Amino acid sequence: MAGVPEERGPGPAAGEQLQQQHVSCQVFPERLEEGKPQPGFFSSFFTNNQKCQLMLLKTLETNPYVKLLLDAMKHSGCAVNRERHFSCEDCNGSVSGGFDASSSQIVLCQNNIRNQAHMNRVVTHELIHAFDHCRAHVDWFTNVRHLACSEIRAANLSGDCSLVNEVFRLHFGLKQHHQTCVRDRAILSILAVRNINKEVAQKAVDKVFESCFNDLEPFGRIPHNKTDAKYAHRDFQNRDRYFSNI
Amino acid sequence: MADGGNNWRPPRPCEAYRAEWKLCRSARHLLHHYYVHGERPTCEQWRRDLASCREWEERRSAEAQRSLCESERARVQAAQKHALVWALRRSPPAEWHLPLPQDEKDE
Repeated sequence: MAGVPEERGPGPAAGEQLQQQHVSCQVFPERLEEGKPQPGFFSSFFTNNQKCQLMLLKTLETNPYVKLLLDAMKHSGCAVNRERHFSCEDCNGSVSGGFDASSSQIVLCQNNIRNQAHMNRVVTHELIHAFDHCRAHVDWFTNVRHLACSEIRAANLSGDCSLVNEVFRLHFGLKQHHQTCVRDRAILSILAVRNINKEVAQKAVDKVFESCFNDLEPFGRIPHNKTDAKYAHRDFQNRDRYFSNI
Repeated sequence: MADGGNNWRPPRPCEAYRAEWKLCRSARHLLHHYYVHGERPTCEQWRRDLASCREWEERRSAEAQRSLCESERARVQAAQKHALVWALRRSPPAEWHLPLPQDEKDE
């Protein structure tokens, strides 16, 4: 698997693409190691692993973005089990997490996730990849357009490109800036997990942007805050009534 | 179906139309819509839908039912107008629930 600085993306299948595997060893070293990683000699009261597990639990239980995604995945036949489908690990660089399609697992970088809000966003982002994997034949490893599509969706719907987050990154813009952010972050994500040049990544993003930016499943809207996410969840729970009465 | 007789009811509870209309008109939503689309949102359709919903609740108006169905179908069509990049699955991936390939993952 590989990731992007402050970004995350799906990982290639182990053994299939040696080049990608080499890159992925460097970012997610624990993924291919034998035996469990040992805790540090001087551990704080809570280790990074424990903090990661606690924050993950809180996210899964309380965050409305995540609760909708979990519901939608269950409905699509991919019920999520915390122990099976999530893994808190140390990662190299400043990657926050990744989705490993080959093992159907979301990796959370316990050494890089800063706080609860960050955990919420990372889990939302990776669950969008997992949701895409569950509902569609996404060719993560050999089709750059598929990868681009999922990254566009994840950047668009997870809150990655919220006005506040962009301001913190010192990216100032208002009118339609969201779309610029989504494009840029999708390209960054692709470049981190694929050994291709920027023009190829840009071209793939441009080609699929219109379709994928407007694919808002399972939210039905771009959720800008928890209220939006709650309304989206309410609509999702109401979908039987909705579709049988239009 | 929408034209089916006695069992029809509005696709959303009237309270949901009211909540969406109110959200649409909020300052926060105006800001977010401008940030995403570069223009102001239009909220008139939510107001019309709320009025239709209430009219149907009070008088079982056929016109209100027609108007609501038309509005919601337009929303669904607008959401589906772009062809998908990938093919949808008919069943979930087989390996989703299988145990991890490597045994040393956290137990």
